[in-house]
Amino acid sequence: MDAIEYFEVESPEDAGREYYRRIADVVLLDHNLLRVIKKLHISIDPRIPLFIAVGVTKKIPRVIKVGDIADVNVQERKVTLSIGDETYLAPLLKILWAEYGGDKVVQPDRFTVILNIEGADGRQIEEIPVIDPSEALYKDLIYALLVIQPEGFKVRRQYYGKEKFYLVASENTLPENFEDLVKEKFALMGETL
Amino acid sequence: MNLVPVTYKGGIYRHDEIMDLIEDLGGYIIQKHVLAQEVVLQALVPREDIGLIARIGKPLTGEITPSPLVGTEIAVVTMSLEIHHLPHASCDVAEYVRRMGAKTNMVGLARGFGKRIAQLNDEERDVINEHDLAVYLLGDFETCIEHKFPVLRRGIHIPIIVLGGPSTETLMRIIDPPVDGYVGNVGRFMHRTKESEELEMLDQVVTEITRVLDKKRDAIAKDPPSVSPARLMDIISSQVDDIHEVLSPTPITVQMTGLRVKLPYDRFAPLLKEIIIEEGITIGEVAEILPSRMRDYILIRIKPFSETNIMV
Repeated sequence: MDAIEYFEVESPEDAGREYYRRIADVVLLDHNLLRVIKKLHISIDPRIPLFIAVGVTKKIPRVIKVGDIADVNVQERKVTLSIGDETYLAPLLKILWAEYGGDKVVQPDRFTVILNIEGADGRQIEEIPVIDPSEALYKDLIYALLVIQPEGFKVRRQYYGKEKFYLVASENTLPENFEDLVKEKFALMGETL
Repeated sequence: MNLVPVTYKGGIYRHDEIMDLIEDLGGYIIQKHVLAQEVVLQALVPREDIGLIARIGKPLTGEITPSPLVGTEIAVVTMSLEIHHLPHASCDVAEYVRRMGAKTNMVGLARGFGKRIAQLNDEERDVINEHDLAVYLLGDFETCIEHKFPVLRRGIHIPIIVLGGPSTETLMRIIDPPVDGYVGNVGRFMHRTKESEELEMLDQVVTEITRVLDKKRDAIAKDPPSVSPARLMDIISSQVDDIHEVLSPTPITVQMTGLRVKLPYDRFAPLLKEIIIEEGITIGEVAEILPSRMRDYILIRIKPFSETNIMV
C-alpha cells in the first residue's frame, strides 16, 4: 500500500494533537481510505472551536460505461450483452429497465442480458454510463471525516470534487471567512483549492 | 463478622457445594454467572473463612480471588454513545470494571458532547446520583474539559472519578473544585483496548476506583447501615417470589448502602416495607423505599445506625 504523501494534524494542544493523529490514522485505515488519499491536513482548535480537514485524493477511476463491463453484440432483432464484470450488474439492469422497459430486457443467465429491440446502435449502448465510483468514494471520505471530527460538531460545510475535498465543522456558527482558512490549509500542503 | 468481597471461579461440577458452603458460613452470593463449563460467583464471605473455601474449592479447580468492587454499583458516564463514533472507550472501561466485580451501568448523556452545548438534564443527574460512584469519561482537549465539566458535575453528590485525554496532572490542574479521583490518558481513541499498555491503563482506572471506594467504605464504617445490604438482598430474594421472575442479570443489585430492586414500585413498595428482617423489625423501619429514576424500579436506601438506633 502506498503511504500518504503528506499527513499533518495541527492543534494548540500537544496531547490532543497526538490523539487526533491516531484517531485519523485508525479511522482511515478502518474505512479502507488510506490508499486513495494523497495529502491530508487536519486542524483542530478547541478554543474557537473549529475543525478543518482538507485533502487531496489520488487519481480516481473514471465513470464506468456499459462497454467497460460487457461485450455488446448487435443482431437484427436483439442486442446481446455478455457481462465480463458483474460487480455493477445491478445498477446496469436498473438503467436498462428504465431505458427500454422491463419486458424488453431478458436475463437468461447470470452473464447474459438480452435486449429485445430493433435497429439498435451498438456504439451508443456501449457509451451508456453505469456508475461513477468517485461519487461513492467522496461520500465515504466525507463520512470518515465526520467520524474523525470531535463529537458534537453539528454545524458543518463540506466540499468534494476535482480530486480535492474539505470539511469544516464546529458547534457554533462557522466563521464568515472559513473559506480563506480552508485556502490557507491547502497552501500549507502546497496546493490551491 | 467481617465480610470481604471475593470472586470464585471454578468448574460447574459440584459448584452448588461451594454456594452452600458460602451461605452456611454466613456469606452472601451477590451474582452467579455460568459460562459454558465455568462458574463465576461474586460473593461476600467472612474474612477468616477464605482459606477454608479455597481448600474445599481446590479439588473442583476453583480459585478464590479478592475483588474489592463486588457489591458496588458504578455509573460510567459517557458524553455520547453515537453510532458513528463507535467503539467508545467507555464500553471498554465499563466492561473491564464489570469483570472486577462491580455492577456498572452506562449513562450516555443526551447532550453531553461539545464544549459550549454540553448539558446534564435532571433525569441523568438523578440516575447518576443513585450509584455509589460515577466515572466520567471526557474527551481529549483540556480547553473543553475545563469549560464543560462544571456543567456536567452540577448536582452530583456521589464521588466522581474523571478520565480524560490529557495527563493526570493536567486534569488535576484544570478541575476546580477537585473531584475524588483522576486518571489521565484515557480519552477518545476510537479503537478497542488490546495492547498491554492500554490494559495497564484500565488497571489504573480500577486501582483509582478501588482507592476512592475504600475511602467511602471507611467513612461508612464510622456510621454503618442498620442492616447489611447483602443480608437485605438475601431476605428479599427469599421472601418475595416475584423477584425470581425478573430476567435482569441482577434482579437485586447490591450497593454500598442500599439496594436496587428491579420490581415495579407501585405494586411492590408497600409489600417490601412490611417484610420482617428479625424480631419484628421491618425493612420500612431501617430503610427508605424510594422510586428509582431508572425505569420503574425500587431504590432502597438503608438508614445509618445513628438515625435508627437499630442494628440487625
